[in-house]
Amino acid sequence: MEEEDQQKVSDLIKELVLRLLSQNPTSNPHPIDRNSSEFRNSLRYAVRILSSRMTPSITPDASAIAETIKRRLATQGKSSQALTFAELYTKFTSKTGPGGVNNKWAVLYLLKILAEDRKAAKTQFDSSVLLPNLALNDAQTGINSRVSRSLGSKDKGWKNGVLLVSKDPENRREIAFREFVNLVKEENEVCEEVLVRDVLYACQGIDGKYVKFDKNADGYILSDLVKIPRATRIMVRKLSELGWLFRKVKGYISESMDRFPAEDVGTVGQAFCAALQDELSEYYKLLAVLEAQSMNPIPLVSEKVSSDNYLSLRRLSVWFAEPMVKMRLMAVLVDKCRVLRGGAMAGAIHLHAQHGDPLVHEFMRRLLRRVCSPLFEMVRSWVLEGELEDIFAEFFVVGQPVKAESLWRDGYRLHAGMLPSFISQSLAQRILRTGKSINFLRVCCEDRGWADAATEAAAAAGTTTRRGDLGYGETNALESLVDEAAKRIDKHLLGVMYKQYKFKEHCLAIKRYLLLGQGDFVQYLMDIVGPELSEPANTISTFKLAGLLETAIRSSNAQYDDHDILDRLRVKMMPHGTGDRGWDVFSLEYDARVPLDTVFTESVMARYLRIFNFLWKLRRVEHALIGAWKTMKPNCITSHSFTKLQGAVKLQLLSTLRRCQVLWDDMNHFVTNLQYYIMFEVLEVSWSNFSSEMDVAKDLDDLLAAHEKYLHSIVEKSLLGERSQTLCKSLFVLFDLILRFRSHADRLYEGIQELQASRTMESSLSSREKSKLLRLSSDKASEPGSWISDGRKALTQRAGDFFRSMGQELDAVAKEYSSLLEGFLSQLPVQQHVDLKFLLFRLDFTEFYSRSGPGL
Amino acid sequence: MDPDAAQTARESLDLAFHMSNLLDTGLDRHTLSVLIALCDLGLNPEALAALVKELRREPQLSSSPPTYAVPSSLP
Repeated sequence: MEEEDQQKVSDLIKELVLRLLSQNPTSNPHPIDRNSSEFRNSLRYAVRILSSRMTPSITPDASAIAETIKRRLATQGKSSQALTFAELYTKFTSKTGPGGVNNKWAVLYLLKILAEDRKAAKTQFDSSVLLPNLALNDAQTGINSRVSRSLGSKDKGWKNGVLLVSKDPENRREIAFREFVNLVKEENEVCEEVLVRDVLYACQGIDGKYVKFDKNADGYILSDLVKIPRATRIMVRKLSELGWLFRKVKGYISESMDRFPAEDVGTVGQAFCAALQDELSEYYKLLAVLEAQSMNPIPLVSEKVSSDNYLSLRRLSVWFAEPMVKMRLMAVLVDKCRVLRGGAMAGAIHLHAQHGDPLVHEFMRRLLRRVCSPLFEMVRSWVLEGELEDIFAEFFVVGQPVKAESLWRDGYRLHAGMLPSFISQSLAQRILRTGKSINFLRVCCEDRGWADAATEAAAAAGTTTRRGDLGYGETNALESLVDEAAKRIDKHLLGVMYKQYKFKEHCLAIKRYLLLGQGDFVQYLMDIVGPELSEPANTISTFKLAGLLETAIRSSNAQYDDHDILDRLRVKMMPHGTGDRGWDVFSLEYDARVPLDTVFTESVMARYLRIFNFLWKLRRVEHALIGAWKTMKPNCITSHSFTKLQGAVKLQLLSTLRRCQVLWDDMNHFVTNLQYYIMFEVLEVSWSNFSSEMDVAKDLDDLLAAHEKYLHSIVEKSLLGERSQTLCKSLFVLFDLILRFRSHADRLYEGIQELQASRTMESSLSSREKSKLLRLSSDKASEPGSWISDGRKALTQRAGDFFRSMGQELDAVAKEYSSLLEGFLSQLPVQQHVDLKFLLFRLDFTEFYSRSGPGL
Repeated sequence: MDPDAAQTARESLDLAFHMSNLLDTGLDRHTLSVLIALCDLGLNPEALAALVKELRREPQLSSSPPTYAVPSSLP
């Protein structure tokens, strides 16, 4: 069987060779003789070829080969033929069984190769393609040379090397491309791929092979020694800027991280670093993707040319556009914030966020949200709980340890340096006040009810009392939270002050006692304490005075007052020197305890004291004059007892009396009007203003301000202010004068009474009783004005002398008084306070003084 | 050969000839049939293709005498 096959094969081969030779167009025109040497040679050659390869180099897969053929047809543009071929193939493969072709794949493969070769022969591109699988060894070089020689003689303009077929544009383009590639390779010492990789390294802060960081130039530069065209150099330089920026930002972050343990960097700084690191991790992701890309070559349509890498420097610059902007922003911020901390840092970053570009805006917003979260947290905890958790001194509210009474005024204050610019000054004030109120309530009032108020406030503002609800960009939310909290806490605080600590009542009590509003009490007190106070100051005992105070309270309407208030009222003896009388050092004081002493501080109480002294002095003068009036009752002086006097003496008596009366009247008018002015125009008016302001006060600051105003107006209007100091001095001189007058008047009337007594005695008594009386009265002989020892004549003379002297003294007093009063009144209109004009009006109601004195 | 087989063979040849025309191989029917027969007998199609190519382009085969020894045995 094999023999048969062999014979068949050889026959077929012969047949084939014959036919092929005869087919050959350049062969001899006559038919080939089987026995010609040509034929025999060809046959031998054919056998040789056939025996040289036994197994095919491809897998016998008919469908794959068919597919390949189809695709080739399609790519050549002969799609209809491809379809026809597909049809034919399917029919061909269906022909199985006897008579059918067994090795269909072989047939197909054969056809394929023949077609390719024929096509290639037509184009005659490359000699090496013609016989792709022919493995010629040295022994067959003869054939090879013969082949090449025969090929070479083919007259189709085929030459070794580059083909110059001008009609084929595809070829020229490809050739030109290859030339260019070679040129580029010559010029660049370093290929672009390496540069791209170096740039990517530089952008992560790592020195590449050619691109290194130069400390002197402070940048990533390409060494000049490397041969690279200028354009590329410039591009590399531009891209390395990103690396420089990255280095700066990373340097700042690592520096801050090093300083963490030293607690030099605050929470805001830490948040800033964290936000920067997040941005950098995004950046790293981008770089990782780019690095992966730089390894992949892009598939090109033309496979004949070596392709560049996917990532070129130009592509890199496009990719880096956005990260460059972001990195630049970060570097600028890093520079700005290197020395700042806390709220100042947040404020500086906020200023940079005012930018129109949406990319920048979005980026800054994200960053700021992270950076400001510690700040907002601090605000939240301060406003809702009064807690100041500020280890690094970054918050704009600064607390100091002070005593309870000055907690409100000095305990907390705003630190303007740490106030970020997106929190306005008024908002900051409100924040400060709210937290202060909570602390005040907690410390001074020992009240816990504010916690409810705080949660209510938070609920009303839409946030909760948990952490991390507020963020940057929600300044409105923060404001509303602060407002709600402030409203509620203030209300609560005021409620506590009014109800629990009875602020209003205490103020009223102070007014009634310290400012001598409780008239009957003051009267009794003056009556009782008066004689005591005439003694020198160091002999007076406070304890005794306290007892007298108690008596006064009990005997007046003050006894119906609240015990708590009465307990606080005490006598105070001011520090005194020798020669001081009790009048100068006596004062009352009111003990205001926590928390009311926030309002009634030491300085405030000192002012009250001053006012009290003034009012007390005024009262004393008034009291003195009233006392004088008591003795001046005309009933005491009945004229019939003086009928026996001589006319001259009587006249003197009457005139003295008259002068005394007139002077008294003058002084009384003055003092009364002054008293009324103080009482009604100053005290009551100020008090009603203060009351109405207390009703509308929204928080403790308002209350304090109102009280301050109240006191200030009192001080100013009652001539105790700084501007009225001269006036005040003249007023006190007047008071002293009036007191002197009182003593004169007392003496006068004493004298008159003695005279009267002696006269009645003389008329009614016997000599014996007279002598007894004389003896009794002889003890008083040294006293002036005792004239009983003398006889009638002496009596008259004495009376005359007495009256004369009294009259002179009274005259002196009167003159001094009128001049002083004039001086006082002339100074009044110059005063700036408008209410003093009312005083002048009252005093000079009838224009008596202005008409009499030229100065007015 | 029985008529069916002959029919099949003829049709197969027709199809193959059509395909070869499509592919522009330049083979005529007779040559193709010989080639198909040789393929069916198990010869390497690559070798056959090479042979065809060589013999086609070999006008001066007779110009130089062969200097090689022809192997006496056939595969």
